[in-house]
Amino acid sequence: MSAAAATSAKAGAAPSGELLLRCRGLVVGYGGEGLLPPLDLELRRGTLVGVLGRNGSGKSTWFKTLLGLLRPVAGRVERSAPGLRMAYVPQSAGLDAILPLSARDVVAQGRLTGTSFLRPWASAEDRRVVAGALEAVGVAGLARRRFRDLSKGQQQRVLFARMLATRADLALLDEPTAAMDVEGEHEAVAELARLAHGEGMAVVLVTHALELAERNCDELIVFDRPARRVVHGPSAEVAGGEVYRRLRGELA
Amino acid sequence: MTPAAAPTWDDFVVAWELFRDPILCAFAAGAVLGMLSVYVVLRRMVFVSAAVTQSAALGVAAAFYAEIHLGLAFDPVFGAAAAALGATLLLLFDPKKLGVSRESVLGWVFAATGAATVVLGSRITQEAHDIESILFGTAVLVRPLDLTLVLAVGAAVLLLQLALHRGLVFASFDPVAARVQRLPVTALQSAVLLAIGIMVGVSARALGALPVFAFSTMPALTALLLGAGVRAAFVVAAVIGALSGVLGYLCAFFWDLPVGGAQAGLACGFALAALVARSLYRLASWAARERRREAAPGGDARA
Repeated sequence: MSAAAATSAKAGAAPSGELLLRCRGLVVGYGGEGLLPPLDLELRRGTLVGVLGRNGSGKSTWFKTLLGLLRPVAGRVERSAPGLRMAYVPQSAGLDAILPLSARDVVAQGRLTGTSFLRPWASAEDRRVVAGALEAVGVAGLARRRFRDLSKGQQQRVLFARMLATRADLALLDEPTAAMDVEGEHEAVAELARLAHGEGMAVVLVTHALELAERNCDELIVFDRPARRVVHGPSAEVAGGEVYRRLRGELA
Repeated sequence: MTPAAAPTWDDFVVAWELFRDPILCAFAAGAVLGMLSVYVVLRRMVFVSAAVTQSAALGVAAAFYAEIHLGLAFDPVFGAAAAALGATLLLLFDPKKLGVSRESVLGWVFAATGAATVVLGSRITQEAHDIESILFGTAVLVRPLDLTLVLAVGAAVLLLQLALHRGLVFASFDPVAARVQRLPVTALQSAVLLAIGIMVGVSARALGALPVFAFSTMPALTALLLGAGVRAAFVVAAVIGALSGVLGYLCAFFWDLPVGGAQAGLACGFALAALVARSLYRLASWAARERRREAAPGGDARA
């Protein structure tokens, strides 16, 4: 399946969730130079999308462009509404562990948008949402613990709670399971699937755990930079294709 | 010849009018710089504080030099503030585009301003005592203008901190997520750097570079060693900074010590005491755990 064919594959899947974000002829890259061919795809509410590819394949560049941190080389990213709420979840290992923040402090960051931080204290509504988010991902008991003292799996769950607290329509997660053991990885991806389907978010997940993504994600996007191809479609369809099989062989 | 009698509390009370302004200045500068030290330490900007403080000292030396040799009279406090602010603005520039790290720019600022201060100082020997005061904080008295500036800038920085601290902590912890949630991350980071620069500038003229550097680093270290969370760290660091300023002045009075050295030494002493307290607490916690383990049924019976 080629990049041009990606749109038709997606159309074939007939996704039913509300359209949140659409890439139209989107070319991502640096300094005016595109890394990949133009990409057309849609992200819809209630879906878990896995983004796969080797290191340096352009996944992070695409992510940064969707998040509005990089300008597209060509094409555009269309949001369904100007007020579309987005959340970003990094690898917990990439965060600054020297800050003595509690798990609750980290989740409360999800309530900050624009200049809302100018209010020195959290509102009662914010506190309620934060407590609910901690409860929803099963880390309410860790609320007062220092974030840096938690295990990698617990830290990632706290970051998932922060994502929930943003009340985001669309969440983008950059290799959130990278530092976890296999069991933790399984739990985290299952949790994300539950959040996407249960909370009605669109969750886009960059991962190297191919089989987990194939099993849990509704859709897959595979970046194949050497061949300058991007394949996108329902998981079963993409997983049956040549690009995915080759990637699995390379990452094995 | 009999040695002079050591000063007493009565002497201090009698001369309170003389000591009031420097103590108030040390209290305010210590508290505000102590609060800012949390950002300095947590954002790994200790060398920023050193470079900005050194620049403030150069500003004072340059003001004396300009007055004596060039006939340009302007108050050294404005020289200190301008130089500190200039250094801060230079440090806002991201040198990664030039392929060098921020640390290398900091090193340049520190070395260049230090060298320039020494060179200018050698040309203004009649003001050598003032230069020494600026560098090491040997000044016993504080001028009304310096006190006014420290109080005014300190109050403004305090209000800024109250308004921005939630955004600043988020932007420090996870700048990408903060940007995605549309927080003005660059503006926040610039605001805290400028606040540090201007506060260091006005405080350095009043108290001296050495105690100002100590106040802008040691109180946060003390608070973090005591295990404070982020919010508590701001309060504890402000208290430690204020205590270092006031008690340092009292120590200098009663034991005839240089004021700046006493204040900086006390700030370092608080950090050392916190380290000892933390080590003892950990040791006691470990011992208690061991006792519980041995007392538990089926516990380790090595003993």
